[in-house]
Formats: sequence, C-alpha cells, structure tokens
Amino acid sequence: MAEIQGCARIECTGLGKSFPGGLRAVAPLDVTFQPGATTALVGPSGCGKSTLLRLIAGLEDPSEGKVLIDDLPPSRQTALGAISVAFQDPSLLPWLTVRANVALARKLARQSPDPTLVDELIGLVGLSGSEKTRPAALSGGMRQRAAIARALATQPRILLLDEPFGAVDELTRRQLARDLPPLWQSRGTTTLLVTHSIHEAVTLADSILVLSPRPARIVADIAVPLPHPRDAHGADFRALVTRTSKALAQGDADNAPMAAQ
Amino acid sequence: MMRVASVGPPLLGGVLLLIGWGALAAVLRGGHLIAGPAEVAGWITANPGLLGRALGKTLTNATLGFLVGNLVAMALAGVAMIWPRLLNLISGLALVVFCLPLIATGPILRVLMGPGDGPQIVLAALAVYYTTLIPLLTGLRATPAVWLDLVHSYGRGRWSELIHVRARTALPYLFAGLQIAAPAAFLGAMVGEFTGAEQGMGVLTIRFMRALDVPALWAIAVAAAAVSMVVYGAIGAVARMVLHDRPPVILSPPRGKPASGLSRLSQPALLIAAVLVLWWAGMALPGMNPFFAKSPQDVLAALTTAPQAAATRDTLWTALTETAVFLLPGYVAGLMLGAGLAIALVLVPNLSTLVMPIAVALRSVPIVTTAPLIVLFLGRGALGTISLVAAMVFFPTLVACLHGMRQAPGQILDVFHIYAAGRLRQMVHIRVPAMLPAFFAAARMSVPAAILAVTVVEWLTTGRGLGSLMALSASVSDYNMLWAAVAVVTTISALCYAGVAVIERRILSVYAPEQVRP
Ligand SMILES: Nc1ncnc2c1ncn2[C@@H]1O[C@H](COP(=O)(O)OP(=O)(O)OP(=O)(O)O)[C@@H](O)[C@H]1O
Ligand SMILES: [Mg+2]
Repeated sequence: MAEIQGCARIECTGLGKSFPGGLRAVAPLDVTFQPGATTALVGPSGCGKSTLLRLIAGLEDPSEGKVLIDDLPPSRQTALGAISVAFQDPSLLPWLTVRANVALARKLARQSPDPTLVDELIGLVGLSGSEKTRPAALSGGMRQRAAIARALATQPRILLLDEPFGAVDELTRRQLARDLPPLWQSRGTTTLLVTHSIHEAVTLADSILVLSPRPARIVADIAVPLPHPRDAHGADFRALVTRTSKALAQGDADNAPMAAQ
Repeated sequence: MMRVASVGPPLLGGVLLLIGWGALAAVLRGGHLIAGPAEVAGWITANPGLLGRALGKTLTNATLGFLVGNLVAMALAGVAMIWPRLLNLISGLALVVFCLPLIATGPILRVLMGPGDGPQIVLAALAVYYTTLIPLLTGLRATPAVWLDLVHSYGRGRWSELIHVRARTALPYLFAGLQIAAPAAFLGAMVGEFTGAEQGMGVLTIRFMRALDVPALWAIAVAAAAVSMVVYGAIGAVARMVLHDRPPVILSPPRGKPASGLSRLSQPALLIAAVLVLWWAGMALPGMNPFFAKSPQDVLAALTTAPQAAATRDTLWTALTETAVFLLPGYVAGLMLGAGLAIALVLVPNLSTLVMPIAVALRSVPIVTTAPLIVLFLGRGALGTISLVAAMVFFPTLVACLHGMRQAPGQILDVFHIYAAGRLRQMVHIRVPAMLPAFFAAARMSVPAAILAVTVVEWLTTGRGLGSLMALSASVSDYNMLWAAVAVVTTISALCYAGVAVIERRILSVYAPEQVRP
C-alpha cells in the first residue's frame, strides 16, 4: 500500500528484553513497521507481545538494542503526545465517567479539550448514552470500548492496541472492524494490534507478524492485500487465515527443541 | 488496618457509654471518684461561660494544629512521591519527630514562642501529622501499575501521576487518617495548654485537679470527648459523601526500594546524620539563646564530660526505670487486651454488636484528657498509670485487629466450612494470621502514644519517672537535663518502634508472607 507522507515509522534494531531473574521475554528483534499501516502481532500467550508493545511505547527500557520512532526514542515521542496505548488490562480510572476518562487522554497529552471529538469517539465505539456512567457500572466489553475511544482521543500518530477487543461482543466487534480501518487509513495512523484472534488480524491488518513462543521471534510476516471492508467468506481471506494459522503452529514446533535445550 | 467509620456505631456507642456511665456513677455514689451525668450536666449549666471559653480556645488551637499538621503531612507525602529517593528519609525523620515527647516539646516551644497559642498549635500539629502521613503514603502507593502506565504513555511524569492518579487513590486513606487526627489534635492542644497556657481545657484540667473538683474534671473530660466524637463522626460523614467506595486502609509501613547490604546500614546512618544536622542547625539559628538552646554536642557533653555528668546519667537512668515499670506492662496489657477482645468478639459475634460501637466511640476520645479521671479512680500508684497506658494502646489495637480478621479471605473460610471446622480452628488457622499485620501496625504506632500517655500521667499526678523529670527540668530551667531527656526518650521511642517492626517482619514472614513486601 502507498506510504502516506508524515506517517510514523517504527524501527526496532536488535531489540531485546530480559526481566530480572533472567527471564527473556523478547529475543533480539529487527523489524520496521510499515508507516501508516496496521500491523497485527499474533503469537502464543506469554510470548512477549505486550512487552514488545511496552518497549515501543517507552514504558519499558530495552535490555539490548533500541526502538526508534522517526529517528527519535519513544520517550521523546510520548512527550509529544504522539503515542496512544489501549492496555490489555482495563485501565479506566474508576472515579471518572466514561466521558472524563476519554477526555483525560487529551489532557495528559497536553492537547486542547475537544468535547465534540470525545463524544464522536464515544459514539463510534457504541457507548452513546453511557457518557456519564462510571466504569464500575459498565460491562467488561463496554469498558474495553471506552478504553479504545480514549486511545483514539488524542488522534495519535502511533496507536498501540493490546488485545483491545478481547471482551467485546461479536456484533460490536464487526462494527468496529468496519469503522476503524478507514479511520486509521485516513489519518495515516501507524497501528500495532496485538490479538489472539487470527480472524481479527486478517480482518483489520495490512500485514501480520507471527511470533514464536517466548522469547518472541518473528516466524512469518504475512501481507494482507485485501480492500476494506473485508469479506470473511472470500477465498483470499480464508487462505490468509490458514497461512497465519500454519505459521503459528510452525513457530510453536520450531521452538520445541529449543525449549528442551 | 482501619476504615472510615460510619456515624451510626459511634452514635450508638455514645448512648451506651452514657448509660454505663450513669449506672457506674449511681453505684459509686459518694465515693468522690465519679461524677454522674446529672452532676456533670449541672456543672456545665452552672459554668457555661467558663467551659465555653476554654472549649472555644482549645478547639481553635486544635483546629489550627490539625490544619497545619495535615497540610505538612500532605506536603511531605507529595514530596516523597515526586522524589521517591527521599521516601525513606522523610518517613524516618517523620518518625523521629513523632517520637519527640510532647511533654518536653511543650515547655521548649513555650520558651521559644513565648506566651500565646503557638506551642499549643504546634503540639496539636505534631500530634496529628504522623497518623495522617503513614496512611497517606500507603494510599499514594496503592495504585495499579496500569494507571501509571497510562500517564507515562503520554510522556508525563511523577507530577502528573500525583495529580491525576495517586491523589485520588489516596483519598480514602487520607480521610481515615484525618478521622484519627481529630481527637489527636485535641489531645495535642491540651497537652500544650498543660505546659503554661493562660486559657483552655488543659488549663482548666490542671486547675480543677489541684482543687480536686471531681464534677468539674468530669465535665471537662466529657466535653472534650464529646467534641472529639462529633468531629470524628463529621469527618466520617464527609468521607462517605466524597468517596463512592470505602476500601480498607492498610497501615503497613511504606518502604522505599528494598534495602540490600550496604544500604541496609546506610539508611539508618543517613537518618541519624540528618537528625543531628537538623538539630544542630536549628540550635545555631540566629536568636537562639545558648542558655536554652542545647545542641547535640551540649547534650553529649552533659552526659559524658561535664562535671555532673555522672549525676545526670543517674537521674536519667532512675527516671527511665521508673517509667519503664509502668510503660511496659501497660503497653503489653493494652496490646493483649485489644487483640484478645477482638478474638473474643469474633468467636462470640453477638457480643460485638454491643462492644464495637463503644470501642469506636472511645477510640475517638483523646485518652490523655481522661488521665486525671483514671488516676482519681485507680489511684496515683502503679494501677492508674498502667491502666491509662493500656487504654491508650487498647482501642486502636482492638479496632485494627477486628478489621484485620475481617480481611480473612472468604474462599479459605469457605473451605473450612465445607470441612465443618469449628470457629476455634478457623480462628487459629485463618483469622489470627490474617489479624497479625493489623496487630503489628497498631503495635508500632502505639509506641509513641504509650510513651505520651505515661509521661503525661507521671507529670500530672505521680511525680515520678521521665514525665516528671522533664516537667521539673523545664520549670527549674535545667535545659541540659531537659534536652538530654528529650534525646533519650526520642531515641528509645524510635528504637522500640524499630524493634517492633523487626519482630513484625520476623513473624509476618512466617504467618503472612504475602504481607511482607520485598
Ligand atoms: N514486569 C515483568 N517482570 C517479570 N516478567 C515479566 C514482566 N512482564 C512480563 N513478564 C514475562 O514476560 C513474558 C512475556 O510477557 P507478555 O506480557 O509480554 O506476554 P504476552 O505475549 O503479552 O502474553 P498474553 O498474550 O498472555 O498477554 C511472560 O513470561 C511474562 O511472565
Ligand atoms: Mg499481553
């Protein structure tokens, strides 16, 4: 796909992360994420996907190698408010309403308040009418949707989504799969989407990175050259699902002898 | 552990206390020990102006001290959040200042600040800031990591953490601290008045104690207790309006980075150095009269090289042993009775509907204000003093232990129910271990409180021990002795606190390992 001018380019060189105690979550990785595109990261549980996202968001310091976003370290980009993260755990502040939670992102990113945008995004994720509700009174799926709206509220150049649809119901998920890609495309957002659902990856992403079990290595990089909205019943779509699924199994098998060492 | 208490139980407790008091007074009539509700009401209606003026004065000073102390606590906690490296130093210094014996701080402040309300306000502030600081530090750190990640993901630092996240998560903890601070501020202001003010409840207490005016003493204690209870209840009511949730507050000590090897030694050394430097610098301020303002070297000299050093040491040692004889039994008895009653209340739940409200009500009473009454009642000997120390320790321990036992994980209790294990076995295997952290938190915080209680009684009534020594030294302007006593009491108090903390860690690592943070 064509590269939109001014889109953020995320470049990981020799990027690795070990936790105290010697646990290695990310093997040295060399990868450049396509600017302005959506890249899905799929891999087995515990392989280091969240850790990779946190490294890119500057929330974790690499043990080796580095991340550069448009030639700047992540901390510089976060300070510019260029990055938004939708966290895997529910991270809404319980004392704020849905609207205040979404608006908080703009405040934290030092952006001017934009009530119209905030309400638009709340509508986009299907939470119109719940603006004044506190998180405790929302369902799990509704909370995740509020968190997605919050991540979008700063209109970030880089959007990091960590399993954002895990608890979202099938209907809303389909609706979001229809609405979100055009939004990202029009803004040229560089999006990384961690997901366990191959189907979701093929639906939303421009390319899929398949990761091995811990420590994460790239097993396959699969391009998804399908126009949006995508037809899940099309032959191309199903072929891509099968390819991704095989790559995932392959990565698991590759790692088995390594684990035994 | 403690929680923002509701108004209902304290109110009920107040009524129950009133009934019990009336009954006791009826039984003991004519003994000149106790004035019943009718007598007290009579005295109050006969002297509304006197009591009103004194109450107004003390309440004003207590309120100012309450504000100052709590603002200082909030500022210190905020600083510790912005510069986490300072956390250990701040909580260490705060502890040392909290361990200063108010009985001696009062006269010293009196000399420094002259007549007027200054010392009362400072003492009230000193009495409250620590009990606010500790829960506040705990609350500020009781923040899910992902909320902080959110702040960091937009490139914001500790300041934003504090404003957008930590300040709000700490709010319930702050309110719990403020609630306890209300009676403590009243107590601090009264102790300040004991040491030479012109007006206030403390002044009246001393006057009526000299005159052995029993109804007046009771009226003052009752008025002080009532005011404290009302404020305690009011803060609880505000807390319930402001907070949607009422999470329990864990009074575990805030610890900075895990101490390892060298820093385990360097932390206390740094603290001692900081205390000495601050002390020395404070005494070197312009306007400090060397006759009065003794620096660390002066105190060291008075205890070692001065001609009367041996006599000074002897006097201190005698006073210390006299105090310890009352302090230790009272402290241990208070802890045991508090924990014991808590266990009894869980074993016999019906009892707690009666006892809990009374305990909550009494916890809001500034115990020291009842010192003259307890001594009237139990005599100037060992029993009265020990009882007062025990009472000072008893109520916080009881309330904390009960809360601790309620924290016993429901699932584990369910397992015991399935195996039809009796209450006693539940108690031994689940509830007592669950209670231990709260018990030790109370035990730690009670060390300075117990020392305050014993020194106040010694000074007001028995005329022996450290309390009396400090008051006497102040009145004859023996400032070497006074400063030496302050140094000794503060050191012992801080050491005891640390000692309890060491025992706590040992025992918790066996019975409640999840409570010992690395
Ligand atoms: N702060 C940490 N300290 C120690 N180990 C950690 C830490 N964070 C993650 N790990 C470990 O690193 C590995 C990778 O964790 P990560 O959260 O990145 O996995 P993940 O791929 O996101 O898994 P999931 O799909 O289940 O969310 C795991 O084994 C995890 O236990
Ligand atoms: Mg994850």
